[in-house]
Amino acid sequence: MELSGIAAAPGVAIGPVWRHAAGMGTGNPVPDAHVAAERASTELMALAARVRAAGRAGDAAIFEAQAMMALDPMLLAAIADRAARDPSLSTPPTPDQVAALVEAVAGEQADTIAALEDERLAARAADVRDVGARIVRIVAGRSIALPDVPSIAIADDLPPSIAAEIDDGKLLGIALERGSVTSHAAILARGLGIPAVVGTRGLLPAAGEHRMAAVDGDAGRVIFDPTEDELRALKAVVEQRHAAGAAARALRGQPGQTADGHRIELLANIGRPEEVDRALEAGAEGVGLFRTEFLFVGRAAAPSEDEQADAYRRVLEAFGERPVVIRLLDVGGDKPLPYLRLAPEPNPFLGIRGLRLAHQHREVLLEQVRAIARAGAALPVAPRLMAPMVATIEDVELLHELVAAALAELDRRTVARAARLEVGIMIEVPSAVLLAAELAQRVDFFSIGSNDLTQYVLAMDRTHPELASAADALHPAVLRAIRATVDGAASSGIEVAVCGELGGDPLGALVLAGFGIGSLSMDAGRLDDVRLALSRLTLAQLQDIARAALAATTADEVRSIVRANSTPT
Amino acid sequence: MTTSLELNVRNPSGLHARPAAVFVRAASGFRSEIRVENVTTGSAPVTAKSIIGVLGLGVSCGHRIRLVVDGEDEGPAAEALRSLVEAGLEEGTNAELGSSRPA
Repeated sequence: MELSGIAAAPGVAIGPVWRHAAGMGTGNPVPDAHVAAERASTELMALAARVRAAGRAGDAAIFEAQAMMALDPMLLAAIADRAARDPSLSTPPTPDQVAALVEAVAGEQADTIAALEDERLAARAADVRDVGARIVRIVAGRSIALPDVPSIAIADDLPPSIAAEIDDGKLLGIALERGSVTSHAAILARGLGIPAVVGTRGLLPAAGEHRMAAVDGDAGRVIFDPTEDELRALKAVVEQRHAAGAAARALRGQPGQTADGHRIELLANIGRPEEVDRALEAGAEGVGLFRTEFLFVGRAAAPSEDEQADAYRRVLEAFGERPVVIRLLDVGGDKPLPYLRLAPEPNPFLGIRGLRLAHQHREVLLEQVRAIARAGAALPVAPRLMAPMVATIEDVELLHELVAAALAELDRRTVARAARLEVGIMIEVPSAVLLAAELAQRVDFFSIGSNDLTQYVLAMDRTHPELASAADALHPAVLRAIRATVDGAASSGIEVAVCGELGGDPLGALVLAGFGIGSLSMDAGRLDDVRLALSRLTLAQLQDIARAALAATTADEVRSIVRANSTPT
Repeated sequence: MTTSLELNVRNPSGLHARPAAVFVRAASGFRSEIRVENVTTGSAPVTAKSIIGVLGLGVSCGHRIRLVVDGEDEGPAAEALRSLVEAGLEEGTNAELGSSRPA
């Protein structure tokens, strides 16, 4: 029996099923909520100490906060108050009655926090519920039977406080009914290097009495009691991936190209200068997206022009004449920075973000442009600067005006700077696609941000647990938007690159190359697979694939068309 | 006697996650009754010694909070919490830059 979910951590694992459920009645009940809460708090502090000793300070902080929640005066007062007022309780209340009370009160208090609709607080609401569940187990004398042999965890959701109690090596893979790729369990799985599939609808009902499960964290599927044939197929998949990995590594150091020698430049996305080495090792031919948020977030003051120039220079110098595209600060109301004073907005993804910051914080962007121009002073090539969230012609005019003002200020100060900057824009909102021809006349290059473009074209939040699997960059609507962008740029002859995850998906890369896109930028870990996939097909074959993909009506159809036409025979 | 004061929360993650724990831990160290409310959203006050309550205020960076402290050590308690919040709840802040930077 096979179910599909969201691939959240790569790899394939097969093993006995371990179900995280309410637990078995093995211990003595503790009918006093206060005593049980104290024990829960002690357990959580011990857990915090254990993971802290293992170097996991972030998890330790979560458990320390949960230890505080267990003894929270509001929680305990509400439980005592409810107990005193409930006439249906026996005297003294039975463990089951106390357990029901604790569960109800913790659930209500968690709901209050969850109702604030803040993504970070949603995780805290889950923490409160998890603490409530722990107190309930102690009250009722139940304990969770942790896996004693290496197992596949099957659960609705797997709270970090449970996952951390499982001994190292006893967790082979994780399959969850709920959750998203950003949920705690998914992050944990990637950290442990085990496969995970989340958002698997129907997982718990399907699990039934099955004893074995396979988790395919690459394809996003869960198979219960795999048959001999299914096991053979899974093993073949694993071996094929190993073989493909070896073939891909053999191509490292060679430029990206099709089987008939058409060049497709393969670049890396990086988020800080320290990632340069990893990009170079993976054979990146440059940097197609250098995100600059690292300089701005998690700190009290904006970085100075000098500090920024140093950081940009390190990356520019590492790549010499090879291209490096530096993106201007891309933040919005969802990630407020203390020194920017961005008001919380009802729709931060449709509000002041990216280039739109210039309306309220012009100086921040001017300073950044100046730092980029200074960093490129001694370079043989013009540094490339790229603006996010461009929606209109006026946005591009604003961008050019900012660049001119920044360069003029450097000249006034007689500071050494690059003679010129190449100015590009991200294509990530539908209006920019529709205006592609006009925008192309006004900038040096386009880079398609396929992640945001997907979310704006389909009007689906890519992190939404229910929508994530449908917000698919291979959707024909997204591919047609990309095709329209390429066509719009053609009249001006400017370069079109893709810097979203679509370019790092071998299937996506084949379609994009078939559109005539000559530059793909991706996480460095994706370069091998994409280089290999491109090397196996001729440009004419890629164009056929792209044509067929454009004619499809669903993302699934696109995927099967590309797979059918690209599998080596 | 009670001591009442209003403060601007300037650390990036507000009274979420770890800074909330830092705030509650500090408040719990005093005998006085300490109530806190989110002035910006007009929330009802909760005890500052409850992490669940404080998280439920939904205090984000840029919000204003009011503290009402009542008890034998209210002076030192108010002062300690004021300096803790103003220093960014062990997360950092930047009041200077926020006020001097042209918008």
